[in-house]
Amino acid sequence: MHSVDPSPIQHLMREMGIDEASVEYRKRIVGIEARDLERIGAVRELVVQNAERLTSSFFDYLAGLEEGRALSGDRVVLARARELKREHLVAMVQGNYGLEYARQRLELALLYNRVGLDLRVFLAAFHHLLERAGEILTRHSGLAPLEGFETFMSLKKVAFFDIGLIVDAIVFERERLIRQQQSAIRELSTPVLQIRDRMLLLPIIGVIDTARARLVTESLLRAIRDNRAKVVVMDITGVATIDSRVANHLIQTVTAARLMGASVIVTGLSAEVAQSLVALGIDLTKLNTVGDLQGGIEEAERSLGYQVLQRERPAIARGE
Amino acid sequence: MAHQPSSVPIERELDIVTARQKGRELAARLGFSSTDQTLLATAISELARNIVAYAGSGRIELSQVEEPGRRGIEIVALDAGPGIADVELALKDGYSTGNSLGVGLPGARRLMDDFELRSKLGVGTTVTAKKWLR
Repeated sequence: MHSVDPSPIQHLMREMGIDEASVEYRKRIVGIEARDLERIGAVRELVVQNAERLTSSFFDYLAGLEEGRALSGDRVVLARARELKREHLVAMVQGNYGLEYARQRLELALLYNRVGLDLRVFLAAFHHLLERAGEILTRHSGLAPLEGFETFMSLKKVAFFDIGLIVDAIVFERERLIRQQQSAIRELSTPVLQIRDRMLLLPIIGVIDTARARLVTESLLRAIRDNRAKVVVMDITGVATIDSRVANHLIQTVTAARLMGASVIVTGLSAEVAQSLVALGIDLTKLNTVGDLQGGIEEAERSLGYQVLQRERPAIARGE
Repeated sequence: MAHQPSSVPIERELDIVTARQKGRELAARLGFSSTDQTLLATAISELARNIVAYAGSGRIELSQVEEPGRRGIEIVALDAGPGIADVELALKDGYSTGNSLGVGLPGARRLMDDFELRSKLGVGTTVTAKKWLR
């Protein structure tokens, strides 16, 4: 049963592991303390009054940059981004930097990501906004210079807390593509091929890690069921190193296949790998191993009752 | 020259492959046969796997060693994990506190020529293993 699909932001938060505890930890990293909340509270009104102006400073700065056009060009997105940014500024001085606050930052991050806003451009614009905020604090807060500076630094901690969230979210989204490609490559790298009725070939090439071993087993079992296969030839010529874990994976795959009613012939075990398995003390005698792929396929054919006959010498062999 | 030991941090399964490849490269450079390269790579694999499985993180150091009349490779596998309570038992075939075949450590010992395991509970484990060029 699938539960109701949560909003993309909730989904992202779950994927990124952002919860109450991690938000608290992020606050600790930037060093937001009770003192900071007090200082920020003292200028809350001033910042809220200037929220519109500060929002404009951010978007005007973006509009002035070539790379910022992505955002300023799309009216609907721009309007939503402005709205969120304004809310952001007001929230920045409310003193509640919990899960809901983090959720709002991620919403903005997703929006930036959708329009492909460059991180460096975002950072420059945000810094520009903070500069304006600093100016407003210095001129209009009525605080002594040192106090004004401290208050600005407190605000800056919150800003860095925000940047941390936004940058992490944007990077996470960009890496999503890499993760998808990785899983696609993994899928492609474990083909199960049918070579005759009820006979499958499973070539394994490269490194077998736990994730890949699971995938190999899964796709093999699925193929055995779909093809009602009786014999599988598993070729491991392309596996350079087999340690105890990988051997264990192979044994489990073979056992599972057997439970599904298919016998497995393992081919392509190199002399080097055979020696290291013996030294490791791994008993593979329960596996049906045949020297090379050709031998394995021939044995599989025999066990299924196939007889391959060469009718006449082909032209190519006669040298014509 | 070229005696620079290489150190591979071991934190994830992927790092095991890196350590193994580094070992193979070094072995090939020193003139180890292809069988010995594979035996060495397998030993590194077992030791690195133990780090990931039991300590979480650690590192594998690979270096060339020389003694009068012989040359070889030294693998040092270090971690700051929970340590091994009974070293003798851990080196026994078929013994495992995890869900494995229990051949990792004793197997690695058989794959190498010299093998020394030092472990202290709560401090960590260091395995030093050597293979000599034949």
